Amino acid sequence: MFFNQVGIIMSKRIVEAYIGEYAGGKSENALNRALELAGLGRKVTLVDFDIVEPVYTLRPIQNELTARGVTVIAWKTRDTLGLGEAGTTLKPGARWALKHQGDIILDIGYGVGGARTLRLLEGADTDPDLQVIAVINISRPMTATVEDIVEQVREMGRVNALLNNTHLSDETTAAVVQEGARVVAEAAKLLNLPVVASAAIAEVAKEIGLTDCMGNPVRSINRFMQKAFW
Amino acid sequence: MTEKIIEQEKRAFLTGNEVVAWAALAAKADIMYGYPITPQNEIMHYWTRLAPRYDKRFLQTEDELSAGFTTVGGVLAGRKAFTATAGPGNTLMQEPVSMAEMLRLPIVVVIQQRGGPSTATVIYSQQEVTMTTLGGNGEGMRVVYSTSSHQELFDYTIKAFNTAWKYRFPTFVLGDGYQAKMREPLTLYDPESRGIELIKPEPYVGKPGTPGVDRAPSQFRNTYSMEEELLEIVNQYMQDYGEMAPQVAEYQVANVEDADLVIIGHGVVFRAVRAAVDNLRARGLKVGYFRPVTLRPLAVPQIKEVFSNSKKVLVVESAYGQLARLLKEAAYGTTAEFLTMFRPGVGITAEEVEAEVEKILG
Amino acid sequence: MSKGICPVEPVMPTSWRKDNKPHKFCPGCGHGLVLKCLGQVVDELDLQDKVVFGCDIGCSLLAWDFFNLDAVQTHHGRTTPVMTGIKRSRPELICIAYMGDGGGYSIGVQHLVSAAARNEKITAILANNTQYAMTGGQMAPTTLPGQKTETTPYGRDPELTGFPLQGQEMVSAVCREGAYVARGSVANQRQLKSYLKKALENQLAQRGFSFVEVLSTCPTNWRTNAAETWEFVQEKMPEYFKLGETRRPADMRGEGLANG
Repeated sequence: MFFNQVGIIMSKRIVEAYIGEYAGGKSENALNRALELAGLGRKVTLVDFDIVEPVYTLRPIQNELTARGVTVIAWKTRDTLGLGEAGTTLKPGARWALKHQGDIILDIGYGVGGARTLRLLEGADTDPDLQVIAVINISRPMTATVEDIVEQVREMGRVNALLNNTHLSDETTAAVVQEGARVVAEAAKLLNLPVVASAAIAEVAKEIGLTDCMGNPVRSINRFMQKAFW
Repeated sequence: MTEKIIEQEKRAFLTGNEVVAWAALAAKADIMYGYPITPQNEIMHYWTRLAPRYDKRFLQTEDELSAGFTTVGGVLAGRKAFTATAGPGNTLMQEPVSMAEMLRLPIVVVIQQRGGPSTATVIYSQQEVTMTTLGGNGEGMRVVYSTSSHQELFDYTIKAFNTAWKYRFPTFVLGDGYQAKMREPLTLYDPESRGIELIKPEPYVGKPGTPGVDRAPSQFRNTYSMEEELLEIVNQYMQDYGEMAPQVAEYQVANVEDADLVIIGHGVVFRAVRAAVDNLRARGLKVGYFRPVTLRPLAVPQIKEVFSNSKKVLVVESAYGQLARLLKEAAYGTTAEFLTMFRPGVGITAEEVEAEVEKILG
Repeated sequence: MSKGICPVEPVMPTSWRKDNKPHKFCPGCGHGLVLKCLGQVVDELDLQDKVVFGCDIGCSLLAWDFFNLDAVQTHHGRTTPVMTGIKRSRPELICIAYMGDGGGYSIGVQHLVSAAARNEKITAILANNTQYAMTGGQMAPTTLPGQKTETTPYGRDPELTGFPLQGQEMVSAVCREGAYVARGSVANQRQLKSYLKKALENQLAQRGFSFVEVLSTCPTNWRTNAAETWEFVQEKMPEYFKLGETRRPADMRGEGLANG
């Protein structure tokens, strides 16, 4: 048994579902997490479970992810019609994703359904390793305050942990992330949930260090989703 | 329940559709009527989440005809009413908009353009320019703001309500699927705290007092028997429109004084145009840009000036000449060589614009 | 108004505008009778300061300045959504959507049915004269089998164009508790007036959607004299379009459904 820099027990199967507010950073964190784990030599399957907007998420950057060792379950552009309007939005293979060996990272799409979307995932109720992580960006007006976050997370259904993903795109500073870390940690305390990490783009993460001001690990992420639109 | 919507200015990270919902709240819109169509859905999603908190209303209608005509009803009742649609929904929306033109009803319509013709695509397009500026069976008596950033979506959605209620012409905010879904930071603010006066709506019908007793009945029609009668009305409206035009028309221009080539683009494409001009200038090429913010009315004198002082003009758009057609009319009688870069329904990057310009300027 | 011809001014509802009478409907047209009943009901319920009257395109548009009521003439088929929009913005107003069978049952049928299904708290009144009158007498959804119109010159053949649409029944079918739905006729004005009154009272009580179809007359396009006109509306039309109430809120005053 050994630990990597953020304390992952290498032998244990990792199953994480990223949920949360629209445009909160679910996809970005899910795919960064998948790449991080793949980089450690782990077998990783990344699942696009966005049933509302599959077009905007993982699909367009699948090839890049595959090249970096991640198995991707997501639609290919040519396979869909109508981009979430006229086509099937849940890829049948995604429903059985938990049957895959190795780590499984799920990008759960937005919508008022919240964590209920997991009901579409076979075995979600019984999988012993599944962690449901709510991604929070306090720069988004609907999750700007402790009260907003608490209310929203309570409405989501099953949530095992929070992740602070506070940022302002290119304007993100360490102070922005740290303010998010404080607010998210306070909300987590009220919700009696752990905070798994603060996520920040590489240069800001470097500035903050290994842990944020609340003592939670910092995840250094790269921005891929900007490419995803095309 | 009712409270100030934006207590203090703050930077926030939003998608374009959410920006519209927040801007409508900030503009003190009372009610939204809407019908689902991608890529505008999250305007409704966020309006319906936010509206009850501020005592605002929403009605999901049976189609876009109904969304438009209920919006017409909301405005007739003296409320700030708006709707949002796209593509085939915009096609249907032209019918209620034409009634709004005839009755001078300040409805606000947000369009997030999609690819066309027909159902086509939902992410990226500027193919609803002709329809939004000149649609319906009329004379295009509407104001169309074409935005290029989330800050502008916020600013111009607020402005759209003011323009509509001030001049009583239907007013559009023209975005696109990319802006709708794109995420970027902007400053949310309360317009009144910034000294922006929000024009108060007034009822057309359901006015105080008893009609026929205290006052004349307030009655409106859009049907005319006599051609002369209609001519008088339309001439009056077009005169009003013409007088409004210089006050409403907006544009952005840079680096045109010494330019060998002026690039023209609007909306999200303007982002690529502006970046291309910066990059090309850095490489020593004499290029400038002109960007119409209002596509209707256009800033005609400024367009004529650009076309008179430049040797070449390059119109760049994610459509097959819908902006170019408007510009040709505005620039009629000028001499600049008219070059085009049409990419109907697909995105345009700064690099692509730069390559085109380098080809032209050789 | 020429007092020389009619020395005694006819009795008109208070809510009618007198300055533009006589009205512009054809002699024998049913609209005048419907609007007279409606005017009387508005008077009796004292609604003149609360009503917004919307009319459609087709002959109903001639009603745009008929009353001393705030009014708006809309597009063909779109009166229902315009009045819905007003009501949703200003629930205190009493909104009446007045239309013909083409507007309500054909081009605007989705609006009528959807408003009924949503139980919009407006009152829709539809005059059914079995054809498109203003455009010159074409077939409507309500044209009777065998009836000649400009687009069924050999008579409506149900094999080709279907049977008359039972619009009132269709609306009734999608309505739920709180709705009031009835079909009256200009041939029975006392009954028609009672239906219109209940339809407006239902809106006043904020119970739900109210709808009255009125069998109406169009001698001009039917090419009928007075006796034939009356025979058509009184005898022929009810063979397909049954008179009576089909929906009535449970707490509405009076006895059961008033039919016939």
